[in-house]
Amino acid sequence: MSPEVPPPSRRAVLRAGACGLLGAAAGGCGFMPAKTPDEKDLAPVEARVDGDLVYFNWADYVDPSVFKGFEKEYGVKVIQSNFDSMEGMVAKLNAGNRYDIIFPTAKWAQRLARGGRLRRIDHSQLANSKAVFGKYTYFADPWYDPGSAHTVPFTAYKTGIGWRRDRIGDLTGSWKDLWNDRASGRVFLLDDRDEVLGMGALELGLDVSTGDAGDLNRITALLGSLRPRLRGFSSDSYNNLLNGNAVMTQAWSGDMAAMLNQAKDPSVFGFEAPREGTPINSDCYAVPWNAPHPGTALLFIDYMLRPENVKKNIEYIGYPMPVAGSEKVYAALVEPFPECIVTEDELKADLFFRNGGRAAEDARDTAWTHVKAG
Amino acid sequence: MTLLRGPFRTRRRAPGAAGTRMWTWFMLPGTLWMTGFLIASLLLVAVLAVGTTDELGNPRFGFDLGSVRALADPAYTEVLARSLGYALLTCVICLLIAYPVAYTIALYGGRYKHAMIAAIVVPFFANYLVRMYGWSVVLSDDGPLLRALRSLGLADGGTKILNTGFGVVAGLVYGFVVFMIIPLYAALERLDVSLIEAGRDLYGGPVRTFFFVTLPATRQGATAGLVLVFLPAMGDFVSAQLMGGPDQIMIGNLIQDKFFQGQNWPLGSALTMLLMLVLLLGMLGYLRRTRKDEAEARR
Repeated sequence: MSPEVPPPSRRAVLRAGACGLLGAAAGGCGFMPAKTPDEKDLAPVEARVDGDLVYFNWADYVDPSVFKGFEKEYGVKVIQSNFDSMEGMVAKLNAGNRYDIIFPTAKWAQRLARGGRLRRIDHSQLANSKAVFGKYTYFADPWYDPGSAHTVPFTAYKTGIGWRRDRIGDLTGSWKDLWNDRASGRVFLLDDRDEVLGMGALELGLDVSTGDAGDLNRITALLGSLRPRLRGFSSDSYNNLLNGNAVMTQAWSGDMAAMLNQAKDPSVFGFEAPREGTPINSDCYAVPWNAPHPGTALLFIDYMLRPENVKKNIEYIGYPMPVAGSEKVYAALVEPFPECIVTEDELKADLFFRNGGRAAEDARDTAWTHVKAG
Repeated sequence: MTLLRGPFRTRRRAPGAAGTRMWTWFMLPGTLWMTGFLIASLLLVAVLAVGTTDELGNPRFGFDLGSVRALADPAYTEVLARSLGYALLTCVICLLIAYPVAYTIALYGGRYKHAMIAAIVVPFFANYLVRMYGWSVVLSDDGPLLRALRSLGLADGGTKILNTGFGVVAGLVYGFVVFMIIPLYAALERLDVSLIEAGRDLYGGPVRTFFFVTLPATRQGATAGLVLVFLPAMGDFVSAQLMGGPDQIMIGNLIQDKFFQGQNWPLGSALTMLLMLVLLLGMLGYLRRTRKDEAEARR
């Protein structure tokens, strides 16, 4: 501090400091145990217009023309905001932000529902939900939300291997392909703890969500043999394939379908779902407990499930949706990569990443640090 | 602050009571800001380092030394040592690049001085992350640079720039070199050119004059630059994320991982405190150095 500035009165500075600390302490309240919402906040509501729709999702995850159609038909506005990670979404919810509709993945839907953060949904309010639960019976009672009491599935996807056919030819259809000598030095894994540990687990025939120390040691050792062949951990799988940094990468099926739009010649790329099993994941619609307009949210879900809107969204985002009648649309879209399709059997194989207890999560976290940092 | 000291000192005068009150008011926003967003947030991080997480993965206050104990894992030490190495290397390279640039502009820039400084600073208005994304496209295997090198026969199919240690340090240097140029430029600009002439008059060659006159006279600018580059480089995660591979992970990447995917804020906080401890040791060295310089200047 320059000596030219005369010292301010100590009291003024202390007072200002105290104000600042108070402000920060208010922020810190987020780390105190949260109060559980009342039962009436969680009871299902009727699908009717009760205000504009406050929408919270990944960026670019719904065809914009679907929003326009919804706004026109119901005379409401869609107020959009986006998150860039599940953690970011939950942090905003916990901070007290209010949204009408959110799109958690299965694992996070379970956490939110268990924590009393989701309003129950009465499926009889959704005329189009029969196309979901009637055909895809798996979702009538999924592991993450018994009876789908708080959620409606939105998309389903799997994890496999995307590769450059023009550089390394054909693969064998196994996770062992990642160790292929022709690809060595240009292999990427997703920058995702569950996906990487899950891949190792599948190859060793273990549970994809294992939190057992012995299992995790075996997985870490196996992945240690892959590490020298890796170029990096990155979830930007399709750009890595397109720009040639990767000749092979662990990849989400939806991203590979999206890549087909960008690729000049799709035949140089391949996507396989390895035979040892592929992790399955799904996103769903959910209504937070403190949603200001839950009725409009239900109308929106039902609108999104209309066959014409399902078609538009599938073509826009490249992710399949578990809605009867949409299968042909998706099959046509991913014609070069038929393995992008998620079948009912694959859902029933149940290779979802589960929430573990605290000890298991910590053990997985440590294993991931060792895989990543070597 | 170091930079402003010279001119300020000459204008020193006793302020009246009104002046005192005005300065007090000026202090308030800064004090509020610093306590609210810096000191208090740091306290939160320190407290969370011994906190726990609930079943949903949310951080909770508590007292649990598990996260602090987890720091003993050699993986963290190794990554911390690597980050330290990268940051120091970045400092040295930045100094080597920035000194000639600043020297040329300050001593030979003439009336284009300000335009040249602007030309260096303006690109840094664009977000660092965006610029790094740009580089990752340019340097990718099928990107323009490697394609050109390959067609000239200077690279083969196996040459890589991205996902190497070289890539990461290059990213850090590119990202932070401006923090070195500006303080060096300020120091060189204030340098009395007659000192150099005096050195020459005393039969010092250009090299001797540089090392015994110019360099010591601008040491404060260089030290300030080194600190300004070292601190962000040490905590950076963007460069390693976009330009590095599995063997280039830095401590910033691990901390980011703990806060996001790992949902382990306590461990992330403990790692942050460890990083701050290392940086603090570096800063102590810097403070001792500047105090010594000041004492010498006063003599």
